[in-house]
Amino acid sequence: MSARNRGTELDQVGGATEEGVDLPSSLHPTGMHTSGFGCFPMEPEALNLSWISKMQVNQPAVLRRAQQIQARRTVKKEWQAAWLLKAVTFIDLTTLSGDDTSSNIQRLCYKAKYPIREDLLKTLNMHDKGLTTAAVCVYPARVCDAVRALKAAGCTIPVASVATGFPAGQTHLKTRLEEIRLAVEDGATEIDVVINRTLVLTGQWEALYDEIRQFRKACGEAHLKTILATGELGSLTNVYKASMIAMMAGSDFIKTSTGKETVNATFPVAIVMLRAIRDFFWKTGNKVGFKPAGGIRSAKDSLAWLSLVKEELGDEWLTPDLFRIGASTLLSDIERQIYHHVTGRYAAYHDLPMS
Amino acid sequence: MFMGYFPSVQDKNWGGQRGAGVPLPKDSGQKLSSPSCLPDPILNSLRLPQAWLDTQDRHLGHYVNGKWLKPEHRNSVPCQDPITGERLAICLQAQAEDVVAAVEAAGTAFENWSGLPGASRAQHLLRLAKMIQKHQRLLWTLESLVTGRAVREVRDGDVPLAQQLLQYHAVQAYTQEEVLAGWEPMGVIGLILSPTFSFLEMMWRICPALAVGCTVVVLVPPASPTPLLLAQLAGELGSFPGILNVISGPASLGPVLASQPGVQKVTFCGAIEEGRALRRTLAGKGAELGLALGAESLLMLTEAADVDSAVEGVVDAAWSDRSAGGLRLLIQESVWDETMRRLQERMARLRGGRGLDGAVDMGARGAAAHDLAQRYVREARSQGAQVFQAGAVPSDSPFFPPTLVSDLPPASPCTQAEVPWPVVVASPFRTAKEALAVANGTPRGASASVWSERLGQALELGYGLRVGTVWINAHGLRNAEVPTGGCKESGSSWSGGPDGLYEYLRPSGTPARLSYFSENLNYGTFGLAVPSTLPAGPEIGPSPATPYGLLIGGHFQAPGARSSRPIQDAQGNLHGYVAEGGAKDIRGAVEAAHQAAPGWVGQSPGARATLLWALATALERREAALTSRLERHGTELKDAKVEVELSARQLRAWGARAQAQGHVLQVAGLKGPVLRLREPLGVLAIVCPDEWPLLAFVSLLAAALAHGNTVVLVPSGACPIPALELCQDMAALLPAGLVNVVTGDRDHLTRCLALHQDVQALWYFGSAQGSQFVEWASAGNLKPVWVNRGCPWAWDQEAKGAGRELGLRAARTKALWLPMGD
Repeated sequence: MSARNRGTELDQVGGATEEGVDLPSSLHPTGMHTSGFGCFPMEPEALNLSWISKMQVNQPAVLRRAQQIQARRTVKKEWQAAWLLKAVTFIDLTTLSGDDTSSNIQRLCYKAKYPIREDLLKTLNMHDKGLTTAAVCVYPARVCDAVRALKAAGCTIPVASVATGFPAGQTHLKTRLEEIRLAVEDGATEIDVVINRTLVLTGQWEALYDEIRQFRKACGEAHLKTILATGELGSLTNVYKASMIAMMAGSDFIKTSTGKETVNATFPVAIVMLRAIRDFFWKTGNKVGFKPAGGIRSAKDSLAWLSLVKEELGDEWLTPDLFRIGASTLLSDIERQIYHHVTGRYAAYHDLPMS
Repeated sequence: MFMGYFPSVQDKNWGGQRGAGVPLPKDSGQKLSSPSCLPDPILNSLRLPQAWLDTQDRHLGHYVNGKWLKPEHRNSVPCQDPITGERLAICLQAQAEDVVAAVEAAGTAFENWSGLPGASRAQHLLRLAKMIQKHQRLLWTLESLVTGRAVREVRDGDVPLAQQLLQYHAVQAYTQEEVLAGWEPMGVIGLILSPTFSFLEMMWRICPALAVGCTVVVLVPPASPTPLLLAQLAGELGSFPGILNVISGPASLGPVLASQPGVQKVTFCGAIEEGRALRRTLAGKGAELGLALGAESLLMLTEAADVDSAVEGVVDAAWSDRSAGGLRLLIQESVWDETMRRLQERMARLRGGRGLDGAVDMGARGAAAHDLAQRYVREARSQGAQVFQAGAVPSDSPFFPPTLVSDLPPASPCTQAEVPWPVVVASPFRTAKEALAVANGTPRGASASVWSERLGQALELGYGLRVGTVWINAHGLRNAEVPTGGCKESGSSWSGGPDGLYEYLRPSGTPARLSYFSENLNYGTFGLAVPSTLPAGPEIGPSPATPYGLLIGGHFQAPGARSSRPIQDAQGNLHGYVAEGGAKDIRGAVEAAHQAAPGWVGQSPGARATLLWALATALERREAALTSRLERHGTELKDAKVEVELSARQLRAWGARAQAQGHVLQVAGLKGPVLRLREPLGVLAIVCPDEWPLLAFVSLLAAALAHGNTVVLVPSGACPIPALELCQDMAALLPAGLVNVVTGDRDHLTRCLALHQDVQALWYFGSAQGSQFVEWASAGNLKPVWVNRGCPWAWDQEAKGAGRELGLRAARTKALWLPMGD
């Protein structure tokens, strides 16, 4: 009742356009998971330093905006459930631990295929929509395990691999490039590279551009997600500039952090990166994706991230092609919220399968 | 409205097939008069305020003396949901006798309340803060339901700030005996709110009033339940029931409230024209009048700005339900295109809808605000402006979309008019200097923000803007510790911070204010004609020739009228002639003062002090001449000596005080300081009293100069010669035009000064009729005036004279917010 009527009410009120999170099309498996993306990898742009030279980001103003965003879009009840399911489709389900072995990788891949308990989805009538996470993300040495596990599970969820001396990036360029090539050879179709923070902090933007272009080349057909490690860049202005350089050099995604820095994905940083993405789109017509990672643990957080992207960039960016959330524990909290929505009860830990 | 947020998900995936197993909360049984088509979260929020209205049988009266007052035989108006038009309750309209009852209750409560130690008042205010905390949900849902404002803004902005205001002022009450020694509460305060202002504006004013020991009668517009709820919460604390009384009634009751005997001050928040009318009505009446007018704001976006953040500033200022008014937006030409693109993009993402919906940016504000905006936009369009609105809204919709107006011709009437909510009027500028000229070129001066990442530029613009509040790279921040107010036609009443407290205090021992209104005063003819003067017999006496002429622009000059007036001494003999100044001379003097203003403002306080001290020395050098002049006018020799001595001391004292102006506030939740600046009023006209002809002249002058004002003075009418004597030193010592002295017929000169639109403040010490005229005439440019209401003052005593008040009155406050971070 209320769902339909809400739409009507808004229509009466002011001619609402029928836009929103468009679940069915983006959830549909066709075409989406074959290469991981609907489009070919990004072509690099020529380096244009005038795009970054004048930019100054005002940190206190961005902090205020970040605070507002979390309070301005409160979604409840069935709207919340729909948004949470939508959030599941953006997750790069991740494990990046020293003790990863093939067995927990296998469990992770199974969870990526079946992110929410089947009976819960059935109640919501979403069980036949092919709901999976967007990708699984592992260390280069575990790519083979992941590819094998996903194949065994019979699905085409892409495997993403971190690379280039993750997480510090403090190894020789030659080995960093080789790392990318090996991961691609093993079957990773998305490469999450870390940038060289030294180059940012010392203002060597040309050098940074050149490095990322070489990463781009080493990726070949695979998609390049560039991790800016924003917690180590010193200022929001540097975050903007590094984002712009990474996009000019041909990144398909820009990503906030490795999850290994002390400060990870925060809203102020995200706002600056999203604004850079929009500026880049306005200048070149190319849409670059955005991936916050690190520290996103609660279902409520994920909703704030979705509305942030919607507010700053619009609905076009709310697809797995252009938006990902890097997380390991987020999925279980979302599942708990869905459980509560469906049953009206809070779940015990053993009610939901572990990942 | 502007964009649906998530309806389509629901429609496509949920609407028809949700049946199996999804528990849906049903509106079980509870009778709600609202349309059943609302989503559940909104329906849930509706229940609480409706239940509260039900406790009053949907029939709201007034809250007086801790009780609901629902007199019989009163008119009533419906309180409507601004979106559906549904009737929520019926509100009784007060009549004069209800006002009388409320003022009596407040008067009785004042006896107790003002006598309490500050610590007890602090305790009571804290209890009220707790009470608000306990019932905050009711407060915010009710406010949002009735006003249509987005609940997020009320919940996250207004309600916490209301609590913070109570807490801050509790602390002020606690330290009152120590910090505010020498001041006492005024008495019963009347507060008149107009419909566009929220309950928070009431809190800004009742908190300081209650803290210092005043009691309050608030007149709210018909159909505003939230102030009534607040009064009820305060009343339910039990003790001191009559300190806060709320009555609702039409604006026409304002003068009734203000002219009740016992009401010592009236603060009015509303539209500029209403304030002007009230100023005229209340001339000569007992209550002092404080005005906080208009709601327009200004945003200055330079090319060195973080444009995206500045665009968010525009949203905060005009399209977030935070402010009651519109925005004037100045954009540097070089970033004009980029800014307009970003603004329009951002506007497309704003979402309007029912205020109680948690995902809405803007609600609706009722028919009056809607019509005002509509009319403005229509006129702007007809005057050639471009109007951009995101999304079309049907003409019968209660919502008004965010609106961006550009290309408004500079001379069109809309450019001059106040911009209404939710309209933003954008215009370009070339240089920062030009921006300052454009920004200061309106009669209003409430608040403004400057967006620039260049520190030097931002500070220069911030200091240069003639407004009450300036935010650097932010907009619309408020805090209980920071004084908020305005200048020019935005009124000079302050709330919050130390300035807010002084609004409701007066120096201890000041007699209560009584009405001195004279029916017979004809504003049209007061001081219009100058009685002609003829030669008045031989000049007798041993004294040297009296100085002659008007001190204008640094030198003595002959009056425009080319005639003189005789001055008699105590024996009735002719003491000498002084120049008969007139309208032309006042014009010249004000012009000269304006020319001198930038130079004097630019002087450091130290340099000002040096000059005042030099003047003191010069005065002492003339001691013999001054004493004999005073003596000739009937002052005892001993007293004359004291007067000269005190005059020199005043100059030195104010010179020294000039160095200790303003201070830095630290505000919770904000990194970076807020500067509380004390800025000069500008060109200040002073009509000096007849008593203490030298001391009063010098005291007023010294305070005015020390605070950076340039002045036009009319010296004592009976005894202007000592002042003219001193003028000879001023002509030599002070920069040209800094001090201008015009002698002549006091009523005539007062008339010229009071009606002069470019005189920025006026102090009048003279007759009761003159005071009444000055109050009436000041409505023209709403200049702050200070009148003695015909009562002579003891200028030789610090407390009885103008000592403390003088320092407050001689400058205006400006709050400059400097958020920091990188």
